[in-house]
Amino acid sequence: MATIYKSFASSDAVQTRTLLHESVPITGSIVSGTYNIGKTTTEENIKDFAHGMFQSVYDYPYLSSSANHIFDITFGYSDNSALSGHSYSQNAKKINIYNEFAQVLAGFDETGAVREFDRDGDLTTGTKMRECIFINFSRLLTKDEIKKGSFTMYFHSGGNVATFGPPISTPQTASDFGATTDYRINSPAGEYAILYTSSATPDTTGESGIGLIYYQAGVAVLTASVFAKSTNPPAEGVAPATAADFSAPGATLKGVNNIDATLTGATISANSDAFRHRLYSVEFDNTTELNSSIYFCRINHNDYNYSANPTYTNNSKIRVKGEKRKNLPVSYPTTVGLYSADRELLAVAKLSEPLKKDPSTELTLRVRLDY
Amino acid sequence: MAFLDNSGDIILDAVLTDTGRMRLAKGDGSFQITSFALGDDEIDYSLFNVNAATANQDLSILQTPVFEAFTNNASSMKSKLLTIADPNLLYLPVIQINEIYSGNNTAKHGDGVFVVAVNSDTETKFKTNKIVMYGENPSSEARYVRCDQGLDTSSISPSHALNAALLETQYAIEVDNRLLSVVSSDGSTAASVSFIDDDDIATYYLSQASNPSFVYDNPETSASATTQVISGPRGTILEFKFSSSLDVIDGSYFDELGSTKVMTDDYGADDASSTYKYIDTFVRIQGMTTGYSIDIPVRLIRFKTD
Repeated sequence: MATIYKSFASSDAVQTRTLLHESVPITGSIVSGTYNIGKTTTEENIKDFAHGMFQSVYDYPYLSSSANHIFDITFGYSDNSALSGHSYSQNAKKINIYNEFAQVLAGFDETGAVREFDRDGDLTTGTKMRECIFINFSRLLTKDEIKKGSFTMYFHSGGNVATFGPPISTPQTASDFGATTDYRINSPAGEYAILYTSSATPDTTGESGIGLIYYQAGVAVLTASVFAKSTNPPAEGVAPATAADFSAPGATLKGVNNIDATLTGATISANSDAFRHRLYSVEFDNTTELNSSIYFCRINHNDYNYSANPTYTNNSKIRVKGEKRKNLPVSYPTTVGLYSADRELLAVAKLSEPLKKDPSTELTLRVRLDY
Repeated sequence: MAFLDNSGDIILDAVLTDTGRMRLAKGDGSFQITSFALGDDEIDYSLFNVNAATANQDLSILQTPVFEAFTNNASSMKSKLLTIADPNLLYLPVIQINEIYSGNNTAKHGDGVFVVAVNSDTETKFKTNKIVMYGENPSSEARYVRCDQGLDTSSISPSHALNAALLETQYAIEVDNRLLSVVSSDGSTAASVSFIDDDDIATYYLSQASNPSFVYDNPETSASATTQVISGPRGTILEFKFSSSLDVIDGSYFDELGSTKVMTDDYGADDASSTYKYIDTFVRIQGMTTGYSIDIPVRLIRFKTD
């Protein structure tokens, strides 16, 4: 009997997992200068919201359908921070932002209280980061997760921002040095590592870290104190002796506002502006987890040597036989169709060129379906 | 639809069809791959040069560029490859529309399509000689579609039996479910839909064992040029007709999918003419043994009252 469909044996399908990495470079000029239209307060790729809780950065003017959301920036501080005070600008929102990130990324302690971000990842002790800058990257960029050991952010922790564009001072580094073999798993949001200023900085205590990078969540948490002093790492909660300016372009007190003053006296949006204009670049590799099923289509010597193609016959006579019954039949498959039990076509695989199939050949075609 | 780059290694480019994605999204376990088939949609076997040296016979065929995969399940795998144990076959069966078996009852309309009047109002405007099927009342007229299977060659007498390995005992009929359903040739039995895909294409599997009013052996073994279209050994016959969906009876889809035309009818007087809305579609018949398929052109008409 002629047949069209061949059933898979249980050993003809195998599942595999592949990690795919892409390099993601984000230049500071996109973040802080490419799309301003000449006014110091208008940047077309930066979206501020009426609620003022965060600021979104796009790679193109966000009103365009071509724009891609690349990351959000926001600021927050703990209720326990020395900077927390009722009279400060958006004080409640900054606390709410901090708590939201903290409860998702750091979790709760055994009493149900929100844990604060810890500088070395040891939640039981050590220095807490109570004033933070949060950069949450779009899922479009991070895909399934950020690759460990690939994250580096360059920013200017000193110097003034006179106009749009990055300031001139030497950029500071925040990178997850050594994270391929040294990362933490005590976060409810997945794995994270500590951001250091240089590869020489990591130490056994991690107390020299200036932030945290959460790989699956795609969130970088930077302590605000990196802007507090010209020397790093800065001490937490200590008033800066030689504070760097941290004002946004066009700010009234540009050049005299340090990070503490800006954090307490300016909105989240203004703080985000100030940070963006100090951001030199960000680069990381993302990871996509590809789960695949590989189907082995085993085509034996006597399988699929004839065709139901309308051109295969002429007045029912098989063309490729050339009038001779004993000539071998031959067919030229170009497509593999994968079917359900009720013969619905579920997936299609194409060969890059026709294959010759006759009774003297056997083939095994591997068809991979990615999910 | 671009051509695939075949300058490098042979690589399979596998994609889920729209139906595959739909079943995957359902999450009900209906996405389960159990079998495969091979297709050769791009190949034109008339390019096979039997008079050339062996190495050159299929030169043109092997150079055929191959399309990327279509994700529409109805657009892929139209012609499939066959597994037949006997390598010494010289003939393969075909399926043909038999328009001559019963005069006007099995013939197409003069426009070259099978015409279905979708509602009673339209049906009354055509007498028998206009060769229009009745979609709302299919049992009240005798017209139907008949397809014959067999070896269409005069080299072998029809008195010989068709090789059992090539006998079609089951057919698949694919119909646009928005417009039509399938009923038996006398209109008395509705066929059961096997499944409806994401594009509203309903597939009916009709077998000789389960649906004898649709599929049966062709008993005619003489040449019978006036009633048979298969010249050689004959296999089975598939007979059916159409029933209109409620949507087209109600007039839906005609403005969206169709147009209007003036047709000769018997409205008011014999051989008068009126304007009708129409939708052109096709119905695919595929033999489940040999994979051979044909597309049958169908036109749905509805008297234009507005």
